Amino acid sequence: MAFLEQHIHEAPTSFWSKYVISFDHKVIAKQFLWYGIFWLLVGGLMAMMIRWTLAFPGTPFPLIGHMLFPHSGGIVPPDTYAMLFTLHGTIMIFFAITPILNGAFANYCIPLMIGARDMIFPTLNMLSFWFAMASGGVLLASMCLPLGAAAGGWTSYPTLSTLMGQPGAGQTMWLVSLFLFGISSTMGAINYITTVITLRAPGMDYFKMPLTIWGMWLTAVLNAIFVPVLGAGLLLLIFDRVFGTTFFLAGAAATSGKGDPVLFQHVFWIFGHPEVYILILPAWGIVSDLLSFFARKPAFGYKTTALSMTAITILSTVVYGHHMYTTQMSPLLTQSFMTLTMLISIPSAVFYANWLGTIWKGSIRFTSPMLFSLGVVFVFGLGGLTGLYLASTSIDLYLHDTYFVVGHFHYTMAASVLLGGFAATYFWFPKMFGTMMDERLAKWHFWCTIFPLNGIFTGMMLVGYAGMHRRIYNPFIYEFTQKLMPINTFITLSAVAMGLAQIIFVWNFVKSVFFNKEKASDNPWDVGTLEWTVPSPAPVHNFDEIPHVKCGPHELGNPNLTTGRDFQYQTEELVKA
Amino acid sequence: MEALLLNVVGKLGPAMEAPLRLAVESMSFWERIQPPEDITTNGHLIMWLFNYTTWVNLFWFALVCIGLFGFSWFYSAKRHKKPLYTHGTDKQHYMITAGIGVLVFLSVDMVITKVSTNDMKNVFWQFPDQEPDIVRVQILAQQWMWNIRYAGADGEFNTGDDVVTNNDLRVPVGKKVLVELTAKDVIHAFYLPNARIKADAIPGRLAKIWFDTNKTGTYEIACAEMCGAHHYLMRGVMTVLTQEDYDRWKSETEKIAIATNDQESPDLRWGWKWGNF
Repeated sequence: MAFLEQHIHEAPTSFWSKYVISFDHKVIAKQFLWYGIFWLLVGGLMAMMIRWTLAFPGTPFPLIGHMLFPHSGGIVPPDTYAMLFTLHGTIMIFFAITPILNGAFANYCIPLMIGARDMIFPTLNMLSFWFAMASGGVLLASMCLPLGAAAGGWTSYPTLSTLMGQPGAGQTMWLVSLFLFGISSTMGAINYITTVITLRAPGMDYFKMPLTIWGMWLTAVLNAIFVPVLGAGLLLLIFDRVFGTTFFLAGAAATSGKGDPVLFQHVFWIFGHPEVYILILPAWGIVSDLLSFFARKPAFGYKTTALSMTAITILSTVVYGHHMYTTQMSPLLTQSFMTLTMLISIPSAVFYANWLGTIWKGSIRFTSPMLFSLGVVFVFGLGGLTGLYLASTSIDLYLHDTYFVVGHFHYTMAASVLLGGFAATYFWFPKMFGTMMDERLAKWHFWCTIFPLNGIFTGMMLVGYAGMHRRIYNPFIYEFTQKLMPINTFITLSAVAMGLAQIIFVWNFVKSVFFNKEKASDNPWDVGTLEWTVPSPAPVHNFDEIPHVKCGPHELGNPNLTTGRDFQYQTEELVKA
Repeated sequence: MEALLLNVVGKLGPAMEAPLRLAVESMSFWERIQPPEDITTNGHLIMWLFNYTTWVNLFWFALVCIGLFGFSWFYSAKRHKKPLYTHGTDKQHYMITAGIGVLVFLSVDMVITKVSTNDMKNVFWQFPDQEPDIVRVQILAQQWMWNIRYAGADGEFNTGDDVVTNNDLRVPVGKKVLVELTAKDVIHAFYLPNARIKADAIPGRLAKIWFDTNKTGTYEIACAEMCGAHHYLMRGVMTVLTQEDYDRWKSETEKIAIATNDQESPDLRWGWKWGNF
């Protein structure tokens, strides 16, 4: 294999080239991190308003209600409620979680962990961030329109999302915003795929890469293949709204010609199902690595974990129909989608066995990244297993579009990904910013998050099991949801508690970035992967010498070591007995 | 929690008081989370599979928790100073992992998929089209109500004597009900929590769904698919009557329909010939 020559560029000096239009993957990662955290707070605040409305319908939202909704006396109005859950979903998926794991950590980790000086296409990387900024700007602007922002749900099914259901420009801007975001994601994905293929350091075989990189690389592959599919769907919907085409129009909306609204659902979910794996795969990879690092023991069944993740990635591309059982596809399709979906349980069981095998007979250090990783094992277990109910066509007849679905997907792609993101933040923070985050606050953050988090999403599954359907503004309208009121109140109080717990994180983060003067050591966690061989924070060109990789990423606890350390760097020859 | 809710009751005024009182009236947690009463002969199939899945899940999740909490306890750095150096690549490690995979395949894929498929094939997809003694209903969903149509005295749909109601579905107990379903404007979903079924009502497409009942009473119809700002208000009522009551209601409304239907009104003609959309 020929290795690309990677030049050392001079460090940028002006504020503009250093912090704004930066070509350095580490700076772009931090830009994405701030971007993601900002949107996480916006999306979280929206979640609070949604929860408040469900638990205390008809009462003004506390503190800022009167400022935000002056015409209704501080009460969230029904149309605003629809905008809130639409934007909450959109923001959390595309503007918070994707930028944090896929924008920030994939950007930060890939070159450092495979031993490269930067991404292979730094300009594309820079453009990827600024397209994301443009996309966020369009979405923010859409909230200021006279008819409000998009309110057709994050899935924005036509014909509700066509002019008939959403006459305002908000929906069009939502589409444009997501299209721009798609461009950003695709650019990032191409960059990550190519970087991993071409810039791995000498000796870094695919099966010597950290599992984090496996997760991020598979994510990038899914992104590159399926985000353009979403782009096509969005574009056709824009045409329907702006140029009078009728791809997705039928019924009263179709005044000339006739299309099919279900076509959009197919296009959307061909992208949409891989999307949930786009969100979770980086977290799986990170957790797989961190469990090994902090159990001081090699990752159990490293190869099978990597191959299971690959198998799930492949399966995730052929199961999308399980989102559409109630559209009454042909029975043959329905059964095929169910069977394929259920097959995912097997590779999932394999890597779960490997995760538990990794901590088995380890010597576990309960640092904050480890606590959050163990949290992911717990919550993803719940999220994954509850998927079995929804994958089954007959149970889905009852549970489709209920809060059971909401609880399930929040466990998988909100709870797990959020905890995985926190684990990553606490773990790589010293390498990113050169200081340690406050470990005591981090542990407080974990315990104050994990309990309310389970309260929220288990509560959602319970009310969903009792039949409460999604996206309703006032649960008092139906008799069968009235008795669920105390549980809804409990969910809301849990959500408030979890929201407040995030203040600990934000405070810890801001404090550690700006006010912590204590330098972190180069390798505070005693881990052997390549990023810990360079100083903290990592220098502009990452590696003075491109490292030569000689062993796997998880060489911990080897009894034959004589170096006084209990781990080996990947640049060292594997010590054998 | 209940004190907090009662505090809210005080602020809301009399309109919301009755439902809120109902919400906080004492009921055990277990009763509270039970699904609405099952009024069909086939709903138990869905609940059986739900319960089976729950037991399977409890088994696997218990294993995960034993591993997660047990290993965390016994192998914390304090208690277990020297980690075992293994890559999990011994033959027996692979055997255990493969065994777990096989067990998952047997308990999950083989059972849930199979039972679900059988239930769909033998029951939920067995539309009683050909059976003579069933109730046929056409439903047109729109923002934000259910238009419900019965063939009138002539037994033909979309004729001048059809019985048309809003949000008011009446069916005789014990009879199979076959619904043809579509939507006028945006996608809705016809959801009968008490019958454990739902189907999307999609503009331009005809959906079919069937159910039967074994208990009289009034039950709710909900819209399960987001259909706009007032999605939450799209509530209908299904009344299950005894056969005599139903027949009486049917013949009375058929007479009223013949007497009062405005033959010029386009609202009368939203239907279609049965099965011929």
